[in-house]
Amino acid sequence: MTLRGKIFLAFLLIALGAGGFYLRSLAKRVFLEPTPRAEEAARSQLSQFALQPNNGTTQLATLYFPALNEGKIIAETRPVTWAQADTDRVRQIVLALAEGSHQGYGRVLPASTTVRAVFLAPDGTAYIDLSNDIVSDFTPGIQSETLAIYSMVNSITSNIPSVKRVKFLIQGQEVETLDGHADLTAAFSPDPTRIKGQ
Amino acid sequence: MRGAPHPRREGDGELPASLPRRLPRPRWLLPAILVLGLAAFFWPARELRSDNFIFYFPSGHHTLPLVSIGNNPYLPLVQILNMVGKVGGIQEKKNSLKIYFGSTQISLRPNDAKVFVEETSYDLSQPVHLLEGQWMVPVDFLTIVLPHLTHQAVEYQEGTNRIFIGDVKPASFSVRLDPIANGARLTVQFTDKVAVRTASSNGKWVMFLGDRPMEPMESSYRFQNAYVSGLQYDDQDGVPKLILSPTSVGLNFYPVQAEGGKILLADVLKPPSPSTQALPPQPTPQPEPTSPLPTTEGTIPQVTEESPAAPPGPPLPIVALDAGHGGADNGGHSRDGWLEKNLVAQYVARVDSALLATAKYRVVLCRGGDTNVSAEQRALVANLSGAICFLSFHAGDLGTALPRITIFTYQPPTVAAPPAGDVPAPIFVPWGQVQEARLGQSLQLAIDLQQQFSALNGVEVDLPATAPVRTLRSVNAPAVAIELGRLAPDEDATALTNPAFQQQVAAAVVQALAVFAKGGTSP
Repeated sequence: MTLRGKIFLAFLLIALGAGGFYLRSLAKRVFLEPTPRAEEAARSQLSQFALQPNNGTTQLATLYFPALNEGKIIAETRPVTWAQADTDRVRQIVLALAEGSHQGYGRVLPASTTVRAVFLAPDGTAYIDLSNDIVSDFTPGIQSETLAIYSMVNSITSNIPSVKRVKFLIQGQEVETLDGHADLTAAFSPDPTRIKGQ
Repeated sequence: MRGAPHPRREGDGELPASLPRRLPRPRWLLPAILVLGLAAFFWPARELRSDNFIFYFPSGHHTLPLVSIGNNPYLPLVQILNMVGKVGGIQEKKNSLKIYFGSTQISLRPNDAKVFVEETSYDLSQPVHLLEGQWMVPVDFLTIVLPHLTHQAVEYQEGTNRIFIGDVKPASFSVRLDPIANGARLTVQFTDKVAVRTASSNGKWVMFLGDRPMEPMESSYRFQNAYVSGLQYDDQDGVPKLILSPTSVGLNFYPVQAEGGKILLADVLKPPSPSTQALPPQPTPQPEPTSPLPTTEGTIPQVTEESPAAPPGPPLPIVALDAGHGGADNGGHSRDGWLEKNLVAQYVARVDSALLATAKYRVVLCRGGDTNVSAEQRALVANLSGAICFLSFHAGDLGTALPRITIFTYQPPTVAAPPAGDVPAPIFVPWGQVQEARLGQSLQLAIDLQQQFSALNGVEVDLPATAPVRTLRSVNAPAVAIELGRLAPDEDATALTNPAFQQQVAAAVVQALAVFAKGGTSP
């Protein structure tokens, strides 16, 4: 084979190798991974719908935010135009908590957290499926995780009487802990003793 | 000159008949190689490795080759059934298989995760595969379907390559490694008496654990030690053994058994230098007789028959120390790069040393080295050792004060409804609710710790709090989690890494345990 032929063959092999790698990653994206964009879009649409001031009644909602220095959660009231369905109301509360306190209290959830789904079982257990952003932007710790959980549980159960317990899922899966400390294998009942002043 | 063309001479184009001519390559060869190469590149890996899976029965053990299909472990179905009973007949069609096992009919299809036992269907985690004429089932077949076929107890820990069928009571063990003068001491505490025999192989020391089936809490331990790098449990050939890896050659190995075979002490020592070799060995007091272990003759050049440097201690109360996180689970981190897993390991090491220095306690570590130990395994270590208390160390964001300590006892996530009427207490307590019966003692321990920590200068100590700490849930002893703060990404961990502060904390823990052992202080 001539030198020119060898060079051509080498280029051809390199191009084929690069193409192979590209095809492999493309195939992975197309066949193996879900379509995150479509899913995210649908969820963001749902969240927007839940937060939209629709025809529901506007009431003062009590939200609880952590106060790490006191080891307690602190109440903050905020007007909320409630959605019709309880599952949408749960979503409204979690998203309001993710938005953060208007009075400068601690953060419950990272702002990037999205609510993937909410289910309400007949026994009063609300199943909340959170995105794994909650873990990626969270400061782990026993105190921080416990207060974050009870901020959500107490906020939800105090505003939506049909919810008696809250069970958390992350990215559709049951997980052992929130971020290495707090047990998420069971549903949580509200704990009024966590609230500052009680 | 390089690259300059040679002048063409007459006759250059013709090769002499005596020289071998290059065979013409077929034109399709290169594309075929490329196509085959690409096919091999994209072909999904199906069979990657082959290990053994060990079946322990009351009468003995059997091994089966474990086949990995798509990274999932599979076992041959017919061989499993022949091992646990008698296959009466097989009716195999192209897309289905019916097996008559005793009076029970089992039906399955390839690439289908459903297995029918008579009319009842069971869902496996992975589909059944037909591989080279063998019907392969995922390992969870053993726990999902097999108990319905054999009507025998089946004990299997997910992720392991061993299963215990029938009335098999496997022993277990906990491991710790302590530094000693010129070496390290490995202490293996078994749950039952074990006859240990040692041998040397490929520069490692092998400790055969007799015929008794073992269910280790961890298959391998890594140590950050100058003499011992790791300990591996292996029973791939059905013979339970521990393999100890020294960090270098030329070290001496002194294994002995104590407490009637329930404890194995193995000292790994640097050989004495020529100047000290002539000195007679210093005798040490031996409160309990120990026995050197039998060895395989002629195979252990490095194992000596001397007695160990020090005997086992008397039976003292055991304290379980748990350094949170480990391995891939780093926990939190500080601005200056301290990982929670490393920080709490320092505290545990200091508390461990402080407790041992009192000669009043033995310590069992729930995490040895930088390994990711599950919450269940940590609880298992504490429960099997019969620890008098369990202390889990963590670090996190406790607000702005620094340093700050909060002690948590366990709080169940769900408030249980009060029992209606006079319901007698259950005989068996679910594994996940074990700690709930110990909450009173745990609170007492938390109070004692809080009082001792409060005496430290410059430390803010909160009143004992409750939290649904996963690690505490299944501990059958007074158990607390000690969280040190503040470890957060916007703060340096300088205050928490201060050795003087760590030593103060360790001393306070020792004081608190002394108070707790005497019944505790009133809140």
